[in-house]
This record gives sequence, C-alpha cells and structure tokens, in this order.
Amino acid sequence: METPVPMSDASTAPAAAASRPMLEAVGLSKRYEDGHLALDNMSFQVYPGQVYAMLGGNGAGKTTTINLFLNFIEPTEGEARVDGIVTHREPLKAKERIAYVSENVMLYPNFTAMQNLDFFARLGGKTKYTKEDYRKVLLRVGLEEAAHNRRLKGFSKGMRQKCGIAIAILKDAPAILLDEPTSGLDPKAGLEFIRLLHDLRAEGKAILMSTHDIFRAKEISDIVGIMNGGKLVMQRTHDDLEGENLETLYVQYMAGYMEEVG
Amino acid sequence: MLRLLIEKELRETIGTTKFAVTFAVCALLILLAFYVGARNYQVSQSEYEAAKAENLKQMEGLTDWNQVDHRIFLPPQPLATLVSGISNDIGRTVEVRTRGELRPQDSRFNADPIYAVFRFLDLEFIFSIVLSLFAILFAYDAVNGEKERGTLRLAFANAVPRDTYIMGKLIGAFLALSVPLLIPILLGCLLLPLLGVPMAGGDWVRLGMLILSGYLYLGVFLTLSVFVSALTEHSSSSFLLMLVIWIFAVLIIPRTAVLVAGRAVDVPSIDQISYEKNRYNAQLWAEDREKMNTYWRENPPSQDAPREEVMLKFRSFMTELSDAREANARELAGRLNEDRLNREQVQQRIALSIARLSPASVFSLASSDLAGTSLDLKQRYLEAANAYQQMYEAFIREKTGSSGGFMIMIGGQSEKEPDPIDPMELPAFEYKQPETASFVEKSMLDLGLLLVFNLVFFAGAFITFLRYDVR
Repeated sequence: METPVPMSDASTAPAAAASRPMLEAVGLSKRYEDGHLALDNMSFQVYPGQVYAMLGGNGAGKTTTINLFLNFIEPTEGEARVDGIVTHREPLKAKERIAYVSENVMLYPNFTAMQNLDFFARLGGKTKYTKEDYRKVLLRVGLEEAAHNRRLKGFSKGMRQKCGIAIAILKDAPAILLDEPTSGLDPKAGLEFIRLLHDLRAEGKAILMSTHDIFRAKEISDIVGIMNGGKLVMQRTHDDLEGENLETLYVQYMAGYMEEVG
Repeated sequence: MLRLLIEKELRETIGTTKFAVTFAVCALLILLAFYVGARNYQVSQSEYEAAKAENLKQMEGLTDWNQVDHRIFLPPQPLATLVSGISNDIGRTVEVRTRGELRPQDSRFNADPIYAVFRFLDLEFIFSIVLSLFAILFAYDAVNGEKERGTLRLAFANAVPRDTYIMGKLIGAFLALSVPLLIPILLGCLLLPLLGVPMAGGDWVRLGMLILSGYLYLGVFLTLSVFVSALTEHSSSSFLLMLVIWIFAVLIIPRTAVLVAGRAVDVPSIDQISYEKNRYNAQLWAEDREKMNTYWRENPPSQDAPREEVMLKFRSFMTELSDAREANARELAGRLNEDRLNREQVQQRIALSIARLSPASVFSLASSDLAGTSLDLKQRYLEAANAYQQMYEAFIREKTGSSGGFMIMIGGQSEKEPDPIDPMELPAFEYKQPETASFVEKSMLDLGLLLVFNLVFFAGAFITFLRYDVR
C-alpha cells in the first residue's frame, strides 16, 4: 500500500503570485533501457521568483529530473515543462528559457574565463555583451579580476564553478537549473553563492536546484523536496519548515523509505 | 551559430601548446621534404647529364658502330621530388642493343643502398604517416573529450541543434589543421622553382591535385577520429582505437594485400623466365649449328671461288639464320613476358583492390599517380626504351648494313684508316611524360575513393552524434 506523501502546495509558497509555473514536472517518470526506474511519477512546480531544492542521496533521481528538463533524456511518461513548453516536444524553444550550472564545471581549459563566458553567452544567443559585462558578472560571482584573463586549466574547482554560475547569469534565462551548484565551493564562496541566489530570486528567476546540502537548502529554498529511489517522498514550503529540523526530517523520510522498500 | 562553433574549434585547437609544437614539427618536415626533394632532383639531374655525356664520350674514337655500347637514361621527374613512388627502385639506365630484351638497371637505391634502408623524406611520407597522426592527435577526443569536460552538457543546455554542432566541430577541426599547414606547403611550392626544379604548367596542376589528395587524406583521419570519438565513451578508448586503426590502415593492410595477392596468383620469377629463354636460345643455337654444318657440307668452298664471295654468301646465310633465331627467341620471350605480365597485372589488381580498403594505400596510389611515379612508370619507361630500340636498330642497320647478331668481318686490313663514328648521329632518346590529363584521369579513382571515405566517416560522425548521449 502506498504511503501518502506529505505535500504542501507550491503555489502557496512566497513569490508564487505569477499565473503559471516556470518549471513544471507533471507525472514525470523515466525508466531506462535496463529496466531501472530512475524517476517515478514526479510532479512539482516552480514559479518565477521561487527556489526549489531537491534533496536526496545518490541515485535519488535529482539529476535525472534535471536531465529531463534539459531534454538530455526523454521521459517514459509525463512531461517536463518550461514556461508551458514541453521539453521533449520543443527542446530548442524550451532551452532558450533555461540556464544551467552543472556539478563539475570544467569548461574549455585552454580558454580564459572571459573567452569561456563569451563563447557560452553567444551560444545562448546573447551576442551584445561587452568585455565590461563579462568583467562585472565575474566579479559578481566572486572571481577576482586577476583571474579573468587566465586560462582555466590553472583554475581550482571552485573558480571553475564560479565561471559556470557566471555563464548561467549571463544567459539571463527565466529558469535556472542548478545541479549540485555548491559542490567545490569553499564556505565563503558558498555564502556568496547563497547571496547570489537571493538576488536571482529577487529578479524573478525560477530556480530548481539539486543538492546534498540540507542546511543551505533550508536557508535559501522556498520549497524543499526530498527524493528517494526516484520518488518525491516529501515536499514542504519554507514556511512549513519553520521550527522543524530538516536534517531529522530528511533522515526520517529516507529511513522510512528504506523500511518500506526493505 | 555554425560560425561561432567553427570559431570555437579553431581557437580551441590553435591556441594550445600542443598545436604550436606539432605544427612547428610538421611545418619543418614539410619544408624539409620540399628542400630535400629539390636537392635530390638537382643531384639526379646532374647525374643524368653526366651519364649521358659519359655515354657519348666512351664512343669517341670508335670507328665501327657495331662496337658501340649505347645506353639510354631515365631523366629525373620533377614531381618525383615530392612523391618518389617507385622512381628510386627502378633502373634508370638501359643498355640498348639492336636486338634482345631490354632491362632497366642501376636504380637509385642500387647506387645508394643506404637510402633503401631509410627511404627519402618526401611529401607522401609526411602526409601518410605524420599528418594522419596529427589529425588523430587533435580529433580523437572531439566528442567524448567534451563530454568528459562537461562542456557538452553545458553547450546543449542551450538551444543548439545537434546537426549544427557536429558540423561546426567537423568543419572547425578540419580548418584548424589544414589552413595552418597550407603555409609551409605554399612556401615549399615556391622553393621548387627557386631550387631549380623545372615546373611546367601541367606540373603545377598535378602538384595542386597532389595537395588536394593530401588534404582529402587528412580529412579521412579527421572525420574518422570524430566518428570514433562519438562512438566511444572515453577519450582514452577512442585514442587507442584510432591508433589500432592507424596501424592497420598504414602498416598492415597494404602489406597484407601484397601477401594475399602473392599467394593468390603465382607469377613466375624473372629468373625462371630467363632460364626458359636461355634454354630455348641454347636449343636454337644447337639447331643453327647443325644448319651451319649442313651449309658447309652442301656448299663446300671451291679452290677457285673468290674468298670474299664465299664469305659474303655465308654472311648472308648466317644473317638469315640469326634473324630467324632472333625472331623465334623474340616470339618465345614475348609469349613468356606477356604471360608473366598478365599474371603480374592480375596479382597487382588483387593487391590494389585489397590495399584500397586502407585510406593510406589509396592516398599513396593517388599521389604516385599524380606525381608520375606509380607502378606505371616502369612500364612507360620500358615501352619508351623498346620504341627507341627499333629506331636504334634501324640506325645501326643503315650504318652497318646489319642489325648486329652474328658478325663476320670481311676483307683484310684496309690501307685507309676508317673514319671515327660521330656519336651525335645517334637518334636521341627522349622520355616523354604522358599528358597531364592522363595523370589526372588515372588518379580519379583514388581521389574519388578518398572523397567517399570522407563522406562515409562524416556521415557516420554526423548520424552517431545526432543520437549521442550528451549527459
């Protein structure tokens, strides 16, 4: 017998006044060719000005969800929608509205930070940026000026991550997908990143973030979804989580799921 | 979008230290190949002139054309400077006699065996070996390398059509390697006339096509590398796979083709043929000796018959015998040679058909065809020598009244010293290259095959990438 999943309505979360969700998963399922069910009937919405954090262990289905929004894979059932556009039907149109930061941003090691930004900005259709724009955005993500014209092959993981975030900002898309964005960032850079997310949310971006970082998820998110075994096992708004210990909840839901599976 | 992707490929390739070092080595090798080729041409040309002069000089003072030991020489070919083909393996000198088979001898490698061990550094070698590796080195991780770096995910998070992306990658990679290489190649082309290689209009056309075939060959390894890169998960796998393919294409398939063809068709060796000919000649001689005995039995010299008249009659009889023997020997030699040639051609066809599975062989065949140093060179030279032999025989017959063979000196010591012969009267041997169109036509099959290889691997890379898992 299915255990009812405690859900709260995302549309009631702060900043969800917009008429329709920017990112929406509707009964999204993905079964791979080897039979493995990576995502099972997942539904959620992220409205403009909202941050949605997907929490979960390895193999929970977080990255699969992001891959479905990016149309890197096609759903077995259900739909991933960006601004109402079904990603597997009109992938190019949907991607015009998405910016993406991956877990391990490597970029082109023989390009400078500026050159990487220029290439990806132009690839995202932004052709009018100047060097000054690139400089400003790199400073905004916390990359010191001396590194702007250095090749990336000498960059640390955190510095590359900052470049990746800068690329996402430059695209100026209404939806942002972040796959483990704080991985590799030191505590100071992590704080700067949280501030940056606040700014982006204030600008009205709909942000979907996968993370292992429970504390940051609680700090920044309007909605938190806990995933396990391809299922969304819990979804709470920021307000619902007031006074609750997210870490305890996380462990409880994960353990409960494990018992259920066991 | 396509332009942006091409620009990125160009910048990504050209901006690396790896490219700078590899390009410097290749540029140096290309210039060196042109320089060494031109120097070789100069050496060959002076050797050719000296040999011709020596040939005439050794005739000085001779008073009888029958004593002449005449040789003809294969002039050096301008484009052999860049693609030596078989030009160093075949004999450059032919000793011309009025009758009998002609055989080229004194090859360049025979004269300088050290070069046979290490071979010359020519443009064909550089393209075939060095530039194919160059292409692999820069394209083996074209797709899976981007996946490993995570740049593929990032690129396809944008509204980038896959077909545009792979087109940009293929075009960009090709331009990044081919355009810089054009600089040393063009400089090398300028060196040729400056270093005294006489390049006619047709030679330039062939050289242009030679470079085109080199670029098509480079394209084959480039598109194949991108294709393999899109088929494999890791760049280390695609590099290893490309190395294996390269070893097969460049080293194994051409040699296997020759081995298989050698097994499939039995071609009698030159020694076997010579043995057959010599045995038949000996048999003809034995028969002629019998005829000579019969002649003297039937025509015993009488005491009162003038000696000169007897000898003239005998000479006439001997000339008839000699001509008949020569005709018989020639007929047998012709038959044996034709049979050998036919078998050799079948063997060659099989070898070439198998070898053409390898782009390296196809390029080698196309380039040697265009340079005029393919397998045909030996046949063309022999045909020119045989045609000259007929002219030479007619000339000697005109000068001596006989075309050689069995010689009987008539008459005693003349009181008047005979006049020395004038070697300049000899008909000149001119080896004429076929028309440019003929070279081009001959290379069309292999140029077409190189194009097909390009298209197949391009399509392979294109289709594979359309379904590539970019995650």
